Amino acid sequence: MECEQVAQLLPDYLQGDLGLDQQQNVEAHLKRCAECAEEVALWKKLSLLPVEQPSPGSRARFEAMLQAYQAGRSTAPKSHSRWGERFPSWNSLRWLRSPLGRVAWSAALLAVGFISGLYLANSRFSSQDWAALESELASMRQMVVLSLLQQQSAGARLEGVTWSTRDQQLDPKVLSALLHTLRHDPSVDVRLAALDALSRHAGQPQVRTNVANALQDQQSPLVQVALIDQLVEWHDREAAPHLEKLRQSPNLNPAVRQRADWAISKLN
Amino acid sequence: MTLAPDEDLMLQVRDGAGEMLGVLFDRYQTPLFNFYTKLTGDRALSEDLVQEVFLRILKYRQSYRPGTPFRAWVYQIARNARIDHFRKFPRERTFEPEMLPPVTPKDSAQEQQEVELLQRALRQLPEEKREILLLCRFQELKYEEIAGLLGCELNTVRTRIHRALQDLRKAFHRLAHCAMQTKAEAAAAENIPPQGGHHGM
Repeated sequence: MECEQVAQLLPDYLQGDLGLDQQQNVEAHLKRCAECAEEVALWKKLSLLPVEQPSPGSRARFEAMLQAYQAGRSTAPKSHSRWGERFPSWNSLRWLRSPLGRVAWSAALLAVGFISGLYLANSRFSSQDWAALESELASMRQMVVLSLLQQQSAGARLEGVTWSTRDQQLDPKVLSALLHTLRHDPSVDVRLAALDALSRHAGQPQVRTNVANALQDQQSPLVQVALIDQLVEWHDREAAPHLEKLRQSPNLNPAVRQRADWAISKLN
Repeated sequence: MTLAPDEDLMLQVRDGAGEMLGVLFDRYQTPLFNFYTKLTGDRALSEDLVQEVFLRILKYRQSYRPGTPFRAWVYQIARNARIDHFRKFPRERTFEPEMLPPVTPKDSAQEQQEVELLQRALRQLPEEKREILLLCRFQELKYEEIAGLLGCELNTVRTRIHRALQDLRKAFHRLAHCAMQTKAEAAAAENIPPQGGHHGM
């Protein structure tokens, strides 16, 4: 057996996944070929590399994050029905039955019809046609996003936020819907997802201002921490007064206050 | 201490029992931390990324499906967390060896010295080669799971692992050669007194 053939078998040999025949073939080759044998030896030696331990504070940080998350969740109203709890997939489909869900579906179907019609009528597409089609699709997507963001089910609204990330440029209507979601959505998960989506559009000044403003509305420590982290990531010095105001507020979660202090020191 | 499989615990977390995440944290924080330190060489960053992974587990817990191996799912999250981090802070991408304890060429037991050389050789590999070795050797992921993680064919995973090992062998050889030379030079310097200096005893 040559090195090239062994190369194909070696990874499975290392995991002990070869049949007896092939294993013996590889081992016979290893006795003759120093290079392959050395690779096997190095693979074995990799297990000798020291295992490093994270610092003891790591567990405490995790606990604080978990507590903050759970505190945030317990303040969010429960929107799941018993029916939904028994059949979790029901919640994600329910929006399709609502009037707005139907609008979204019609839009999607219309888009499919539009494309296939154009394609069948004229198989040679000009770049202008493509551009028209692109913009048509973009506006369909915006419609879907806007209708999803207004749904009762948190799952559908999450879906809406995810859809909004498919466009490079945010339409002003979608942007303001996302900002509204960030500030007022009852679900922590949806608010966090909205922040994620907005963080991609830091270039738009009103995004930064609104994210900084959103700090004051939040009761959930988890969202507060996520907002603080985002502001630090943007190195947005104008956010410092907002952070200062937040840390003065009474009843603030100690972990959030600590985070705000850290952020202020980072921004100054 | 619970002995429940990771997958059962994750399903409980998904269904609202957030406290069960603590058990998963205890099981995974050290492997994840080592995945990151061996990949980036930066302890502080590695700890941050481990926290980010667990925050993402909470955020995306609804997307966990029964039957998905938890280990593979969590490493998918771990990879994405790192990729996102370096997308945001591209300058930190380079591996900074000074952040790790220096390798001293002093005479230690041969095995210890080999381990040190191996560590350095691993650090010299391009990131994607280092990553694939870490995933299969230290994180105990199956090749099928790695293929899913990297979005490639199973055979491609085998080829990549073999190439990574080949590169590791070459890097190890280069370093071993250099270490031997340094040692020989040091030995020679001890035998030859510096010119014009006092020989003392």
